[in-house]
Formats: sequence, structure tokens, C-alpha cells
Amino acid sequence: MPLVEIRNLTKRFRKGDEIITPVLDLDLDIEKGDLLALMGKSGTGKSTLLNLIAGIDQPDAGSIAVAGTTITSLSRGKLADWRAAHLGYIFQTHNLVPVLTAYENIELPLLLLPMSSSDRRKRVNFALEVVGLSDRAQHYPRQLSGGQEQRVGIARAIVTHPTLVVADEPTGNLDEETSRQIQTLLQELNRQLGITLIIVTHDVDVASIAKRQLRLEHGRAIGPSQSPSAAFSGL
Amino acid sequence: MFRFAPYIWKTLWRHRTRSLLTVSGASVAIFVLCFIGSIQEGLNRMVQGEDAQRRLIVFQENRFCPTSSRLPEDYSRQIAQVSGVTDVLPIQVWTNNCRASLDVVVVHGVPAAKLPESRELRLIEGQWPAFVSRTDAAVVGRQFALRRRVRLGDQLTFGSMSVHVAGIFESDSSAEEDLIYCHLLFLQLAESQTAAGLVTQLEVALDPSAEPDRVAKQIDEKLRSGLVPTTTRPKGAFQTATISDLVDLIGYAYWLGLACVGLVLSLVATTTVMSVQDRVQEHAVLQTLGVRPGRVMRLILAESTLLCFWGGALGVGLAWTILTWGNFSVGAEGVAITLRPSSAMIASGLGISVILGSLAGIIPAYQATRTNLVGSLRQS
Repeated sequence: MPLVEIRNLTKRFRKGDEIITPVLDLDLDIEKGDLLALMGKSGTGKSTLLNLIAGIDQPDAGSIAVAGTTITSLSRGKLADWRAAHLGYIFQTHNLVPVLTAYENIELPLLLLPMSSSDRRKRVNFALEVVGLSDRAQHYPRQLSGGQEQRVGIARAIVTHPTLVVADEPTGNLDEETSRQIQTLLQELNRQLGITLIIVTHDVDVASIAKRQLRLEHGRAIGPSQSPSAAFSGL
Repeated sequence: MFRFAPYIWKTLWRHRTRSLLTVSGASVAIFVLCFIGSIQEGLNRMVQGEDAQRRLIVFQENRFCPTSSRLPEDYSRQIAQVSGVTDVLPIQVWTNNCRASLDVVVVHGVPAAKLPESRELRLIEGQWPAFVSRTDAAVVGRQFALRRRVRLGDQLTFGSMSVHVAGIFESDSSAEEDLIYCHLLFLQLAESQTAAGLVTQLEVALDPSAEPDRVAKQIDEKLRSGLVPTTTRPKGAFQTATISDLVDLIGYAYWLGLACVGLVLSLVATTTVMSVQDRVQEHAVLQTLGVRPGRVMRLILAESTLLCFWGGALGVGLAWTILTWGNFSVGAEGVAITLRPSSAMIASGLGISVILGSLAGIIPAYQATRTNLVGSLRQS
């Protein structure tokens, strides 16, 4: 049984007088342990699909089930609970809370779960170790480089041991070298910790770490393909 | 919720100038509110106590200022014959200022021997015999002594008279603690050599079964044929009428207090709205991480409530300190309202702060939870 089952998913929104349909009647299965790259031109619905899977946007039609839970039928409150327990979200711009240290930012999602402070400490320290920032735990976001901030963002996304991690252009704001380090980190998380990862990217190098690529066009999937170059051939 | 306490604290600290300005603004407004409240409390204590209802004041008809009321001291004998009257105390009143003042001096000249039994005064310094035996002796209320730094044995001079402080007393009635008592004859002669036998007012104690208004009417009827017509009223009503201008002013001050409440509300609401608008994206991130909208709302409410509570606590503390150390009394026409800090003032000051803080945060908190997450995240 797939970890993520998407059926007949449609999302429309109005932009001025125009109705835009970034996702149209989409069916997609994502297996546990998968690393899927969502690709396509700007405005083809990659981020919209990601946000729908993350439960921060609502479809106009269709359903999304993650590990047997149909998240499209959950209330706002229940969706928040589901995200806290099952989802890790890596933002393009890190989106760390500026008043909290790296440690506190990573601990933030754990505060929502029933967990003792010692368990939280263990989890946060482990996540810091995984992203290689144990020595930056007490630094504030403004004291970190862009790459380090993104690592904190990744640690925050994995610290709850989520069922699914989604990343929206995780290297979009980073230089080439830092981008490569983040790609390697994401790949290791998938391979070594078995984290199921969905990445939205424009970057062919980022897509190259994926086990599968899915290209979106006019709201529909025109992949998947095993080859990043094939996926990008139509761009 | 307590798990998020560091986040709340650090968020407030992030914009510390804004937070401190809001706290200080709220503290000033709550201070004014408490100060006005203490004047209102003082007035209520004065006009609503048992003494205010069960004792009558006989005053010269159509007169309000103590300097203009002159009744024959002998009236006390005639009043004592009225049914329901248990005691009559002739009082000569002297005041340094008939107008409203924050530092009014009121001296009551009374028959010295009758004072200990007619008033529930407890000497905290000095002895009653020392007061009774010395013609120019005076006992001074604690509040007045604190305000003017009067000590036992001091010689106090007011106008043309000078009294020797033979005792300092405390009383359950705060208004009493702002008075100075001296010998009746001494005060009469100090004012004028021809004033002997004349008093400002007569205070009438009643039998528990007597009906105050009926007795008052009987007294005025009995004295109608006398040299000077009188108006007799319960003490509370007399005091309210005497300082009616001040009572009106206190009534206006009540509206000023309400304006302070509105000021705090708008100040804290403005700060909270600004804070929420600055953090639209941050709140969207929190919700994306799994923070429920209701919890985001509570976090914002906690911020606004804390700001207001700190301001309130500071304002209440300031009011407490100033009222305690200042020992103020506001008075007119020889009637003084004492300003004292009270537990009711603290409770209401803090309670109002918390309520205002919560109210101020409701709209911005609601707005923060209704924003579109995807749209808010795209702001980055």
C-alpha cells in the first residue's frame, strides 16, 4: 500500500478574471522511503501540489491519504495535529523563528507532542548531529549562514520522526557549494534514516538525487521518469 | 502553553522598545485609574459607614462653610432632650482652606473629657490624661501626623493658634485619622475672644432604635424658635452636601478613569496589531509546523495580556507607593477624604489590566488565525 495516495486531485484559484487550475484530476502514489522530485516550469502547480500534500492548502476536488489518513477530510485543527505528528516541512527561505536559537527552533515542533523534556533534548541533539550543527545549537538565525539556517530548517523538519517530509525549493536561496551540501544531506536522510521525501525543485542537480521525478504540466503529471534528464527534456 | 513561555517572552523582548513603551503607557493609565479609584473609595468610606448613617450633624441653616456656621453651644442641652438622642458633642471646626486642597488641615475643638468616649480613637503615642489636663493640648490623627511628620511633644502652629501634640491616634475611620482634636474652649478663644459659647456644629449620637430622619426633623423644629435656625442631617449626607463640588469633581474623575481604560485598551491593541502584522509569516510557519490556530490565538492573547498585566502591576505599584508614602487627603469646607491604598484597589487594578490585555488581543489574534497559510508563507 502506498504511503501517499492522491486521487482525482484538482485545485483551482482565481487570479483576476482568470481561473487557474494548477492541479487537475491528478492521481499519484508515493511509496514509503521514496525520494520524489516534483519538477516543471513556474506556475505548473509543483508548490501547489506540495502544499496540498502538506495539508496547508485545500483541494477543490479529489483526495489525499497519507499512511491511511485522508487528510483532505480533516478539520483545520485536526490537520494541524496531523502535521505536528506526521509531517516535516522544509521551506525555501528556512523560515526559522528569529527570536529562538537553533536548538529552540528545532525543539519547536516537539513542544506540540506529548514528550518529556529529556526526550526532547535527545531528539534535538540527534537532529543537530545529523545536520552537523551540534556546535551551533545556541546560535540565533542571524548568527548563522544561509546553509546553516537551511540545515536547522531540515533538522526541525525531521526531529519529530515524521511519516513524510516535504521540501519546497530547499536549495533555491543557496550558493552552488552549499546547495550541493544540502542535496547530500537530503539524500543521506532518505537513504540512511529511510525518510520519505518529496522535493519541489527547478534545479536539475537537486532532482538528480531523487529516486523518481515527476514533471507537472498544465496541472497534470507527465512523468514519472527515472531519468532527471528525461524529465527536463521538455523544459 | 507553558512550554511556549520562552517563545512568548523572547517575542516581547525582540521589540523591547515597543513593549516597554506599551508597558509604561499602560502603567501610567492604570496609575491614574487607581488614584481616582482611591478618591472614590475614600468618599464611599466617609459617606457610607455606620457613623455616617447613625450620627446627625446640626449645622446653621443655609450655611456650608465651617467659618460661617455659628450655633450656640447651649443648643446641645436642648438637643439632648429630643427622644432618641443619646449624646451631643459640640464641635468647633477650624480649617486652613475652605477650598478643595490635597493638604487640608482640619482642627476640631471638642470638650476634652468627652472625646475618648465619643470617638473610637486609639492612642498609639501619648496618654489621654495628658490631653485632658492641658488646655492647649491636641491629639493628632495618624494620617495627618505621617503627612506632616508630626511627633509627640511637637508644637503645631496654624494661623494664630499653637497647640501642643499630646497624642497621636489611629481609628478605623480613615477620615478621623486626618483630623486634629483640641479643647473646645481653646479653639473658640483662639479664633475670637467673643466666640466662647459658639460652635460650628453639633454632632448627635442616636439610640439604636431611633430613626435618623425623624430625629433630625424634631431637632430642627425644636430649635426653630432659637436664635439661629438649623439644618440637621445624617453625617454622611451632611458631608456629601458640604463637599458637593468635590463630589461632582470626583464624578467627572470617574469618566477620566474610564478614558484611561479606553487608552490602555487602544494602546495595547495597537501594539498587538503591529506585532501580529510583523509576524504574519511567522504565524503561518508555526501553523505549518502543526501549531493549532487556537494555540496561535492563545499565544497572541498571552502576549497582549502580559504587556497589559506588567503595565497594570507597575501602575498599581506606583499608586500603592505614592498613596502609602504621600498620606494624601483631599478636602473642602473642613471635610476631608483620605486617600489610602487598599486590597480592592490592587485587585481591581490588576484585574482590569488582565481583562483589557485579553480584550486588546482578541481581534489581532483572530486575524492571525484566519490568514491563508500559503499566501502568508509566500510573503517570504
